[in-house]
Amino acid sequence: MIQQATNGAATAARPSPGDVIVETRNLSKVYRDFWGRSKKTALKPLDLDIRRGEIFGLLGPNGAGKTTTLKLLLGLIFPTSGEALVFGKPATDVSKNERIGYLPEESYLYKFLDAEETLDFYGRLFDMPPEERRRRSEALIEMVGLTRDRKRQLREYSKGMTRRIGVAQALINDPELVILDEPTSGLDPIGTREMKDLIIDLKSRGKTVIMCSHLLADVEDVCDRIAVLHLGELKELGRVEDLLRVTGVTQFRATGLSPAAVADIERVLEKHGAADVEVGNPRTTLEDLFLEVVRDTEARPGRRARRPETGRSE
Amino acid sequence: MVLEEEIPRFASWIGPAVLRYAATAGAAAVAAGLCAWLAQAVAYGPLASGDRVYRGILAGLADLALPSPRRVWALARLAIQESLRRNVLVALALFAVILTFAGWFLDPASVDPGRLYIGFILGATNFLVCMVALVLAAFSLPADVKSKAIQTVVTKPVRTSEIVLGRTLGFALVGTCLLALMAFAGWAFIVRSVSHVHALEDADVFASPQAGSEGRTSLVRGHRHRVVVDGSGNGVAETAHGHRHAVSVTGTAGDGGRRYAVGGPLGILEARRPLRGSLRFLDREGRPAAKGISVGNEWAYRQYIEGGTAGAAIWTFDGITPEEFPNGLPLEMIIRVFRTYIGRIEEGIHGTIQLRNPTTSLRSESLPIVAREHTIDSLFIPRRINTVLASGELREVDLFAELVSDGRVEVWLQCLEPAQYFGVAQADFYLRAGEGSFALNYAKSCLGIWFSMLVCTALGVMFSTFLSGPVALLATMAMLLVGQFREFIARLFTSQVTGDSSLVPGGGPIESLYRIVTQTSITLELDPTPAVQAMKTADTLLLAPLRLAAGLFPSLSTLGTSDFVAGGFDIPANLLAAHAAETLGYVAAFVVAGVFCLKAREVAS
Repeated sequence: MIQQATNGAATAARPSPGDVIVETRNLSKVYRDFWGRSKKTALKPLDLDIRRGEIFGLLGPNGAGKTTTLKLLLGLIFPTSGEALVFGKPATDVSKNERIGYLPEESYLYKFLDAEETLDFYGRLFDMPPEERRRRSEALIEMVGLTRDRKRQLREYSKGMTRRIGVAQALINDPELVILDEPTSGLDPIGTREMKDLIIDLKSRGKTVIMCSHLLADVEDVCDRIAVLHLGELKELGRVEDLLRVTGVTQFRATGLSPAAVADIERVLEKHGAADVEVGNPRTTLEDLFLEVVRDTEARPGRRARRPETGRSE
Repeated sequence: MVLEEEIPRFASWIGPAVLRYAATAGAAAVAAGLCAWLAQAVAYGPLASGDRVYRGILAGLADLALPSPRRVWALARLAIQESLRRNVLVALALFAVILTFAGWFLDPASVDPGRLYIGFILGATNFLVCMVALVLAAFSLPADVKSKAIQTVVTKPVRTSEIVLGRTLGFALVGTCLLALMAFAGWAFIVRSVSHVHALEDADVFASPQAGSEGRTSLVRGHRHRVVVDGSGNGVAETAHGHRHAVSVTGTAGDGGRRYAVGGPLGILEARRPLRGSLRFLDREGRPAAKGISVGNEWAYRQYIEGGTAGAAIWTFDGITPEEFPNGLPLEMIIRVFRTYIGRIEEGIHGTIQLRNPTTSLRSESLPIVAREHTIDSLFIPRRINTVLASGELREVDLFAELVSDGRVEVWLQCLEPAQYFGVAQADFYLRAGEGSFALNYAKSCLGIWFSMLVCTALGVMFSTFLSGPVALLATMAMLLVGQFREFIARLFTSQVTGDSSLVPGGGPIESLYRIVTQTSITLELDPTPAVQAMKTADTLLLAPLRLAAGLFPSLSTLGTSDFVAGGFDIPANLLAAHAAETLGYVAAFVVAGVFCLKAREVAS
């Protein structure tokens, strides 16, 4: 298999107004002290359009303004200037929440409830009838793999389990827009992969996902478009593949080549004036290696895991 | 029982009360709007601030419209579960401990044990239930904000009004369950505590020239009763320590003496329905007087008439009909005595009661009474009664035909003993129009506690929407404390503004501090130097906002009705209805204020 990336960003088509789920115009947030004096500028004027059906990532280091942006979209805090529209309604309009699912950074849930009670409680907040609450709770508990722990209080849950019930509560209303704050925070590699699979699955079901993370690999793996924030300011905005494309470098990938064939190809490249030619086996990611080991161990219990094959296709 | 003001009919009270409420709520809303505008203007400028406040008011009003019952109930359930998790049932255990050890501190030999036990139980219940409600309400929302669990709630389609209503409802239900359990346990404690019987031995009973025989019961719980038994073997252990007992002869003992059975206490757990009249006075010369005699610098509720003079206290009763009182008038009275010499303290002070037709001035003969302190004396005036003619002759007449005119009759009280005084108040004389159920009356008093608990809950939830838990608790308690003294604060402010120091001697806080430091008596007027004037002005300025705020704050003591139950009086339906309306008014106002406060705050930071 040979992949070739070409220079030049693909310009995304301008979205129609009906496609835009979230819109911010000049949205900014300044935190003030008791006397009204500016304490910290958390977000400088931000213009964003997030479209239906995409996975949008807010990327940046700690304190970049990612969570502030999400909180502004959810109406948890009020903008200092500008406005945020979600489904065409102001962010402070609670009726928009009918179509939103939100997973906060730490799954802030009521620890004295068990999984069933938690989902029942949040289902009631959506005014769902009892039968529908029961049906959706069953399905979600099974989906997040908490069937055996459904009757345990959340205070007894591990971080990963808490995260999973957090996801379930965010999906209780089958939302059109899912907002995830650091969705893989605190998860082990398997949990991280499951979370990423879930996000991609949500997209495949036509949902729009907004997530913020400082874990670059997570964002890269799942997001269609990203906005990079730093010190409250938007630094980059665009499709992931466009932003990550390294112009001026051509990459070939192939399987089944003998060392002689590789030497021939090198000679051909040098003949055409190629500089800085590198030849070797590509590295897998640590995440892929770990997952391979776990899968192999589960498939062959008690045996040492086989070293993952090189050159496998992804 | 002290009843300073007549209890108005609910139907005539509610109209003006609603108007007053609307005016006060409107003024408070305008003041709150102005404060919000000022606070926002500092950060955003006057125009943007006005726009924000306007939009905030619209959003708040929209929020209040039609909350979803399912969401409110979901949040109420959550509040209940949270309360249980926070070991709210500890309050029940504490109450059980109080009941267990109360017997060590409550004196069963007290003058009126019924009043003591009922007052104690209702007081303890009121305190515990209100404290639990306060703590639960004040700490719940701040805890959610701190744990950030509130973020998963407000990001659902939940209106602020549903959060405030859900919390209030949940904690109110918890408080209601606690109150029900405590009230039931308290009831059992009261009944068990006042229940007792005396023994009556034949050796303690002697033939009497006035009655068939008389004697004394055994000493139980620090008291005995004088017993009177008629010829047919039926008798009574007369009222002492607020109750009496029925006595009957049950047979003859082996030695030929009679056996007596003494029943349980009567009149200790009852609910009298009084019909009260209006009071006026005659001075020692028999001339109409605006008020009675003051016997010293004491509370002016009760006023006095002088013995051995023409001084009289006259009650005019209205609505007296033979249908309501077919056998006569059951008069009950609480007469205080002021003695200028002690005399025979155990005998009481003698006086008379006369009935008088307010139209024809026809009087009944004088009926003797003996006033004893700390007891409710009763006098039954029969249908057939002697009247005194102009010639001085006595003529027996029908009470309703000759002495009652258009349903009105006057009752005259006079003290016979010179240099002794009877002290009376309007509520002290009444006709016993009927008998309510004590159990129902107790339940009605618990309803009064329930009203207080609701106010505490709504107030705590309101403060918790924008303050941290401990601060919300302190703010709620401070508000209730100011509300408790709202009448004093109003009087103090009037005293400051008008300069009438007789209303509240000693002045405002700064003047009081000055008097304490300089050891100046509160009865001494300070020289009107510029410094004193400045001090008084500063006091007035300090008191003005407190006076304004105090008018808005609830007074839990006015919602309480335990005095009625402890005193053995039925709680009037009009009073209960007024308290219900007052509670509803406060709860509604606090819920609305809580909604706007929560709406205006950022739940995440």
